[in-house]
Amino acid sequence: MTATKHHRDSEIYSEIIIDLYKNPINFGKLSNPSITLQGGNPLCGDEVQFELKLEAGIVKDIKFTGHGCAISRASESLLSEMIKGKKFEEIERIKDEDVFEVLGNVVQTRVKCALLPLQVLKQGFMKYREKPNIKFASGLGV
Amino acid sequence: MNSERIKKEFPIFRRKVNGKPFIYFNNAATTQKPRQVLRAISDFYEKHNGSVHRGTSGISAEATELYSNAREKVADFIGAKEQEIVYTKNATESINLVAYSLIKSQIKKGDEVLITKMEHHSNLVPWQQLSKLRGFKVKFVDVKKNGELAVEQFKKKISKKTKLVSVAHCSNVLGTVNPAREIVATCQDKNQDIITLVDACQSVPHMPVEVKKINCDFLAFSGHKMLGPEGIGVLYGKEEVLGKMQPFLYGGDMIREVYLDWTAFNKLPEKFEAGTPNAAGAIGLGAAVSYLEKIGMENVYRHEKELTKYALKKIKYVEGVKVYGSAKERTGVVPFNLGIIHPHDVAAVLDKYGISIRAGDHCAQPLMRELGVVGTARASFYIYNTKKEIDVMIEALKEAERLLA
Repeated sequence: MTATKHHRDSEIYSEIIIDLYKNPINFGKLSNPSITLQGGNPLCGDEVQFELKLEAGIVKDIKFTGHGCAISRASESLLSEMIKGKKFEEIERIKDEDVFEVLGNVVQTRVKCALLPLQVLKQGFMKYREKPNIKFASGLGV
Repeated sequence: MNSERIKKEFPIFRRKVNGKPFIYFNNAATTQKPRQVLRAISDFYEKHNGSVHRGTSGISAEATELYSNAREKVADFIGAKEQEIVYTKNATESINLVAYSLIKSQIKKGDEVLITKMEHHSNLVPWQQLSKLRGFKVKFVDVKKNGELAVEQFKKKISKKTKLVSVAHCSNVLGTVNPAREIVATCQDKNQDIITLVDACQSVPHMPVEVKKINCDFLAFSGHKMLGPEGIGVLYGKEEVLGKMQPFLYGGDMIREVYLDWTAFNKLPEKFEAGTPNAAGAIGLGAAVSYLEKIGMENVYRHEKELTKYALKKIKYVEGVKVYGSAKERTGVVPFNLGIIHPHDVAAVLDKYGISIRAGDHCAQPLMRELGVVGTARASFYIYNTKKEIDVMIEALKEAERLLA
């Protein structure tokens, strides 16, 4: 029963997930962020912190830190890249399907992992719209 | 014990998972069912279904007889009397039954309940929540670095106010076998009136358990973790303790006489079984008990210990692996992490190899905090598992390491 034979990596996670997990984009911190959005899923222990530089309703720069599974990590990279240079309204219009379009489909049990970063960002923007002077929002994504 | 032959009696193992033979290593969560259990359930519905304890018809009497025969089997299995076996829906309900019944008259404001930091949420959340409602206090015995309970703390932490001590027989996370008999003896030494409850979810399915030896007042376990169906659990309670206790749920079957303003309750165990019971579940559990008895619980225990020893030896060769707990006495549970790879990712890789494990907090978040992790992967074994299957898992883990580390 040698299960390794004829076994391709892509069967487990899409290549893009593995690649972004090992080589994340926008991973790190910003020197002077306009706002920090923190969230996670306490059930699986995923945690993420997005730091954003905002200018005239546009995301000028974004970085993230935290820890989690390959799917949530990859999704964080993708989303941070996706929203850079975009207006809030555009970001708020991002749908779950848009995430899966770039990330590839994930099994039903892991949908939450893939969508966690989008939820953190959307909820964070909602709080920002209510109070534009906040620098920090936490407990997002749950 | 011939696991390959046993495996053939479980229809589910005919299927494949992701094109691979199905390897099931999540037995601490729930177990697969042999055809003997499945047949007992379908036989009941096809030939004997009638309302237990209700109706004078022959079919109802047949159903009642099968239902009570199953109770007799379960009672024999753990060395109890029939009237000491209360059917519940699972161990969680068994523990809640004890908790809710005791707060009606026996546990009051200012009292103390002593549990441990090793408990499954099912033996923690009921006490924590009811303590807020009733104003009693919950105290905890610590877990040592090696995954054993700090048993010596029981003596210190039991006070004059302690009304109940509740402890897991085996940890669902670490596999540690706790010295239940010694803990119960310590409690009784300190105070004869302390009520003791043993959560036996991870022991009754895996080793010989005799309630009279442990000498606890209550013992709880679930049917689905021992080859039986879901929705049937057991609460063992000493006759004299159950007798003194208030009912949990009120309704039909638990009564003898009902007037508009008062009710006389039924005898044991019916006093604690309100409403139409899960007869098919009980009958399925009875069949599971017969199946396990045929194998012999000593053999089950020996087999799992052997598999665990083998797994612990082999898993060391996977780079970056960390196994949690090193208790001397342990059941077939192996919790581990693979470097910083998230347990869910480990489980995802294993799934592609047809292997089911559990990944996460194992319904024991406080214990996870004690271990300093948010979760672990966990392989847990049963009678149908083999060393060959463990070899497949080791290969899959090496692949996970190669892919994600």
